[in-house]
Amino acid sequence: MTARNPLPEEWTLTEDRADFLFDLLSRGVLGLYLTFALFPIYWMLMMSLRTRAEIAESDPDFFVLSTDELRRVVLEGDLDLLAAEVEYENYLDMWDQIPLLDFYINSLIIAGVTTVLALVIAIMGGYAFSRHDFPGKRYIGGGLLATQMIPGVLILFPMFLLFIWIQTETPFKMRDTYHGIIFVYTTFTVPVAIWMLRGFFDSIPASMEEAARVDGCTRFQALYRVVIPMAAPGIAATGMFVFLIAFNEVLFASVLATGEVMPFAIGIRRFETQATTYWGEMMAASSLATIPILLLFVLFQQPIVEGLTEGGVKQ
Amino acid sequence: MAGSRSVLTRRLEGITDRLPGVREHVPSIGHRLPFYRRLTAGQQFAYKLMAPALAMMFVVHLVPIVWGVTISFMGLENEFISRWYDAPFVGLENFQDTLGSSTPVGEDFRNSLQKTVLFASGTLVVTYVLGLGAALVLNQKFKGRFIARTLLLLPWVAPAVVSLYIWRMMFQAQSGLINNVLLDLGLIGETIYWLRGEHTMVALILAHSWTQFPLVMIFLYAGLQSIPQQLYEAAAIDGAGRWGKFRYVTMPQLKPVSAVIVLLMFLWTMINFTAPYIVLGPAPPDEAYVAILFIENYAFQYNAFGRGAAMSVVLFVLAMALALLYYRFLFDDETTGTGA
Repeated sequence: MTARNPLPEEWTLTEDRADFLFDLLSRGVLGLYLTFALFPIYWMLMMSLRTRAEIAESDPDFFVLSTDELRRVVLEGDLDLLAAEVEYENYLDMWDQIPLLDFYINSLIIAGVTTVLALVIAIMGGYAFSRHDFPGKRYIGGGLLATQMIPGVLILFPMFLLFIWIQTETPFKMRDTYHGIIFVYTTFTVPVAIWMLRGFFDSIPASMEEAARVDGCTRFQALYRVVIPMAAPGIAATGMFVFLIAFNEVLFASVLATGEVMPFAIGIRRFETQATTYWGEMMAASSLATIPILLLFVLFQQPIVEGLTEGGVKQ
Repeated sequence: MAGSRSVLTRRLEGITDRLPGVREHVPSIGHRLPFYRRLTAGQQFAYKLMAPALAMMFVVHLVPIVWGVTISFMGLENEFISRWYDAPFVGLENFQDTLGSSTPVGEDFRNSLQKTVLFASGTLVVTYVLGLGAALVLNQKFKGRFIARTLLLLPWVAPAVVSLYIWRMMFQAQSGLINNVLLDLGLIGETIYWLRGEHTMVALILAHSWTQFPLVMIFLYAGLQSIPQQLYEAAAIDGAGRWGKFRYVTMPQLKPVSAVIVLLMFLWTMINFTAPYIVLGPAPPDEAYVAILFIENYAFQYNAFGRGAAMSVVLFVLAMALALLYYRFLFDDETTGTGA
């Protein structure tokens, strides 16, 4: 560098300093992102610990305590104040506002059984896709993907008519039953599950089953004795993915699973009435549903993330 | 008659079937076999494994789609609900009613299609920008990167119904957090009604984008991870700085992944029901009344399933047409990675 630099030496932007500034900047951006991603979840928890009057306030505190109260708790060790300000009443009242327990149980049954059924069917399908070439494979694969592009309403109306028709013409009942909605959900989740599982099976060397076959296993035994145990993490991840889809679905549930079998995703709407919205209770109920799911994800996330991205990046 | 064939013939067929080239020389045997018997044992096994999935897809996807398209040509109103097959065929009437400008439903439906495209484009832009930024930040080497990635994925993992209600709560005009913070910071002068009028679309896009950006992030992150380090080294030798590397290495290398995720985000948003259903609440304002919600409400309010099916077909065709346009003009050899 021969050019005279007017700035003092410690001000010049050397490469090291540029790197440092860039790191600082990206750390800052990361902080913003984490705030953006986590704040709504934090806010759900905070609002679930407040009374109706506190929620209606136009200037809410970011924590359950105001700044003054926080100072007293932290500096003066006034833990009684903390206990007094954390309102857990919502967690007690929410069960009476709406039949929440029924909603939870319905959701668990519907999403749980859907997960098991979809996994069984998709393990077989995904394995067939991963290991065998058969006539029509391309078309079936394309069909599986195409199912993800169809607007739900296009399928909803015929399903609705079919369920009504079954009810009037036969002794069976499909609408507002567990088996009806589970049947629909299983089919909707099978294509995605096949797609994910196929990726996991691809990553297991075929020599494993060949060895098992040489040892006298049938094809089916080789699948469930050798391949399935090896793909367990991927299967767990797929299962969680399917569970989430079934848990979150509202379009079909709002038409085909009302009444006795209404799941949480639809039932939670009842906290919002004509007159008022029970935000505190709603957030308490939401927290109770969300926290276990988030924890499960943190445990299983590695295979889920892999299963999701593989298809997109590889193709 | 398979039963009347001798054991020996079947044996023979089994053998010729498995030997490459034999079938051509013994056409009389090979051609008599039914399709299924011509498959190898592995292929037969594969079909058996696929059978339950295919059967269910047939019943819950293929049949309803054909059926849905069929009733879109039928005058399926209230009195035919339990006897849909008795409804009269009305030709293109449903399509004329819902797309024509003479009927109120036509006007509302065309408005909802417009809002759908706006919703999908807005979400696409917001999620892509947010997702790309997050992926780039995560791609830096730093301590706790794994934890950061997990935490940034949480918005996507949290049940969408719950997340969307949180946003609906935060967008409340009087008690909502967003207005309060903006007012405190002096960014807005007066209360904004986020869930009514022109701002509703902004609220809808933001809420939905919060639940979806981690998906874009993780796709692009995986794409970034697969860029060979040598490309950056080569760029550095050619004198590229940070911006140069981003512009001439990162972005071109991300193109294939971007192409896929952009298409998926757009299509999935166009047919997303959950976000408008929750965020807009029981009385959706016209400014954000997207098609899929409009179709559902309209069909069940008036028991007009013929019209509802017709509108669903239009939505599906529109989505496919836009996807095809995108594919036609943006998916070149370079994008798919087969050329260059």
